[in-house]
Amino acid sequence: MEKVLLDILGAIVTFLVAFVVGMTYGGLNRKITARVQNRKGPPWYQNFIDAYKLSSKKSAIHHGVMHHLGPAFLMVTSVMTLLIVPVLSHNNWFPNLNFQGDLIFLLYIMTFGPLGMALGAGQTGNPNSAIGVTRGLSMMVGFEIPWVLALVALMIQYHTTSITGLMAVQAHSGTWLMFSSPFAFIAAVMALFGMFRYSPFDIVGAPTELASGPIAETGGKYLFVMMSSGSVFTFAKLTLYVDLFLGGADNLFILIIKTFALYLIPLLYSLVSPRYRTEQAIRWFWGWPSFFGLLAILQAIIF
Amino acid sequence: MEMIHIIFLIFLGGAVLTYFSGKISKVLQDIFFLASVLVPAYLFFAYVGAGREATLSLGGITLIWGVNHFSWLFSLIVLGLGSMAAIYAIGYMKGKKRKGYFYFNFILSIMAMMGILLSIDLISFFIFWEIMTWSSYLVTIYNGHDIQRIGIKYFVFSAIGAYAMLMAIVIVHHLTGSFLMSSMINFYPNMSLSMQIWIPVMFLLAFGVKAAMMPLHVWAPDAYSNAPMAYTSIFSGALSKMGIYGMVIVLVTMINQIPQGFWFREVIAWLGGITAAIGTLWAIKQDDAKKLLAYSSVAQLGYIITGIAIGTELGMLAGLFLAVMHALFKGTLFMVTGAIEKQTGTTNFNEVTGLIRKMPWTFIAALLSIIALAGIPPLGGFVGKWMLYESLITSNHYLLVIVIFFSSTAAFLYCYKFLFGFFLGQEEKEWAHVKEAPAVMVVPMLIMAVMMFVLGTFPGIILKPINSGLMDLGFVDSFKHLWESSVILNVWGNHVVLQPILYWIIGIFVFFMIFLTWKGFKTTRYVSTKDISSSGEVPADDENLTFSVGFMQPFMRAVAPAMRRQIDKYYNGIADGLESLFEFIRRIYTGNGQTYTIYVIVFVVIVLLFKNILF
Repeated sequence: MEKVLLDILGAIVTFLVAFVVGMTYGGLNRKITARVQNRKGPPWYQNFIDAYKLSSKKSAIHHGVMHHLGPAFLMVTSVMTLLIVPVLSHNNWFPNLNFQGDLIFLLYIMTFGPLGMALGAGQTGNPNSAIGVTRGLSMMVGFEIPWVLALVALMIQYHTTSITGLMAVQAHSGTWLMFSSPFAFIAAVMALFGMFRYSPFDIVGAPTELASGPIAETGGKYLFVMMSSGSVFTFAKLTLYVDLFLGGADNLFILIIKTFALYLIPLLYSLVSPRYRTEQAIRWFWGWPSFFGLLAILQAIIF
Repeated sequence: MEMIHIIFLIFLGGAVLTYFSGKISKVLQDIFFLASVLVPAYLFFAYVGAGREATLSLGGITLIWGVNHFSWLFSLIVLGLGSMAAIYAIGYMKGKKRKGYFYFNFILSIMAMMGILLSIDLISFFIFWEIMTWSSYLVTIYNGHDIQRIGIKYFVFSAIGAYAMLMAIVIVHHLTGSFLMSSMINFYPNMSLSMQIWIPVMFLLAFGVKAAMMPLHVWAPDAYSNAPMAYTSIFSGALSKMGIYGMVIVLVTMINQIPQGFWFREVIAWLGGITAAIGTLWAIKQDDAKKLLAYSSVAQLGYIITGIAIGTELGMLAGLFLAVMHALFKGTLFMVTGAIEKQTGTTNFNEVTGLIRKMPWTFIAALLSIIALAGIPPLGGFVGKWMLYESLITSNHYLLVIVIFFSSTAAFLYCYKFLFGFFLGQEEKEWAHVKEAPAVMVVPMLIMAVMMFVLGTFPGIILKPINSGLMDLGFVDSFKHLWESSVILNVWGNHVVLQPILYWIIGIFVFFMIFLTWKGFKTTRYVSTKDISSSGEVPADDENLTFSVGFMQPFMRAVAPAMRRQIDKYYNGIADGLESLFEFIRRIYTGNGQTYTIYVIVFVVIVLLFKNILF
């Protein structure tokens, strides 16, 4: 019983850390974008203000059960990903579920939420939402290919499919996987562009084209939960990348530096790129990123 | 008289009784039908265990039937799914014509499948195989649409497979002097190399047709979608598994025994992978739910074939676990489609939409089976997918794992298309009258949905029979080596513990569900799907906002080059070539007496002219 309570406490602490960090990154994103475009931009804590505003609003309408529960599905994915990914190495603060799932489990639990939210978006009956969902799912097929190529390369090179196993490899050899399997890293980072859905891959939300797509009919408490889920998921994804390729982190400070450095890659790329069409985006992922993924597998087989 | 005899007698007698009792009373017919499926199922699981045998002498040949753990596993699929589909069929067939014909063939199919599983000699295996083909053919043409194209296609492929198998059986009898499977297997290492290759190839041809393996799959989409849905759920769920059953036996007992078997397995595994990828792409393209599910069945069987062709312990476990799961979720999905067809009269996504509030229980069954199909935890499909990937990676099939992963991710597209097309989207007035399907149809779907949930958390329930089945085929005991009741692990020792994960998922979901519902419970009200933001305007009542035509168009554009070639066209080319050959032959054999007279005269003239040279 005590262990269960401790687990829940650990999960809540992890969640709060992820929420704060993810929200801050979102705010910094807006700030950096503004500065690049020579605007002043909102303060870095703007996302907290937005979240507070959304949560304090009264929601007047919903479009049925799936629409009502869509954000909850999304939250399941974010929190489960966060719990499976080891937040800090050599630390008992955030034990969570690290040793009870592996990379393939992670890949699949990451699709649970988007599918649930897609059902919610579908029930609203707004055609823009459904178009956004089909685009999102199509693009997922695109970026999962290089992402899985990279992961499979890691799995066969180090004979483990568990995240903690890959972290142990890095701790043992002292080299980050980013350097010992560079092609896998490149492919994975290119796949990260698709996961973040920033420009040029912002075809799902597609401002001014799809009227923000799947979340078109969402507001108030629903949008609040979705926004928090997005922030938590951002942090979870970045932490996963840090664990896999950048040797993990011993304390929160290093973790934040590493995750932010990673976060800057899709962010800065988005600032100089116009939007792709869906089939262009899919083919982009099946081009160079997949080529690097295949190189990674070759490297894993040969060395 | 053994219990196995009694079971077959009940099947046969029940089929005949059901057929004729329709003349007296419809209710009596339904009762007879249910009894002749459920009673043998009960008798089988209650009284027939592994190791039981029964014989029947027929015209000098002794037919031997028996049960081992492996066939018991498949009996679970056949009789379990068969019973559910039978209950469902009562509701589905209500008010339809030619019920007797349908019920008769339904029972015969189940009997034939049980016969195939229980056969120990090749003669009864072949007989039951033919009964299965015939009965499924007759149900396929039940609707009367397109009999020429669909029925003949199915039958030609089945016939090619069956005659290949018959040839193999005859050769085996010539070589060993016995029709027993065990003597064939024992003699196999002593055969010449060409026989060692040809006999499995001929058997695999027959099994590959039933399992809809590329390039023998072209009959499947048409046949699956044309049969009544109550039958398609066992057609795709159980009948196609007979091909898998045969394949496993051939692969394990024959191909694994020879050194050339490695290439054999590689080819079959790749065929399975390609089947999965192509089947998925075509499923995404379909606008009809029946066709979509039919192509999806082809794709899912591709995973199963890949799993069993890999041939490692984990691969076998994965393939057979997926086989059980596929029977559950695809059976349910076809039932869902049938329920919608029954209630609305169409299964086209472009016509029917927004049924979620009218058919909530059907939606729940569909949602759970879709989650299982997509392989998302915590439902059972994930366990099978996980084991399949791990077995592919640990057995060095790196490119194959990408192909399988691609098709598995692309499967989300048609999963969403299925759910959105039927249940979500705009609610239209045209379908305002639709009501939930009768309980007799909904309950079997929900039972199977619950089964998927249970198997996803405690896969040990079904992995244990699979394990004993594989041990009967000569595998080492994988119990406590690759899985425990709710833990699955690979040979590297990495594992997933399903039970705590399930609790966490439920916990998180319930927490946020309560949060969303609790907050502002009184102020939040339901509004219809017309009450949406549409460029700042309120859409009028008659405005059509339904989005279903060209649903996955961007994706189809991206993969268009892969879909330009269709295997169907090549077959049609062969068929056209043959037809012109026959046409030419028909010109010679005109059937006209005068023409034949001319032939005779010409022949005589030639003989007379060249008699000096010839004689």
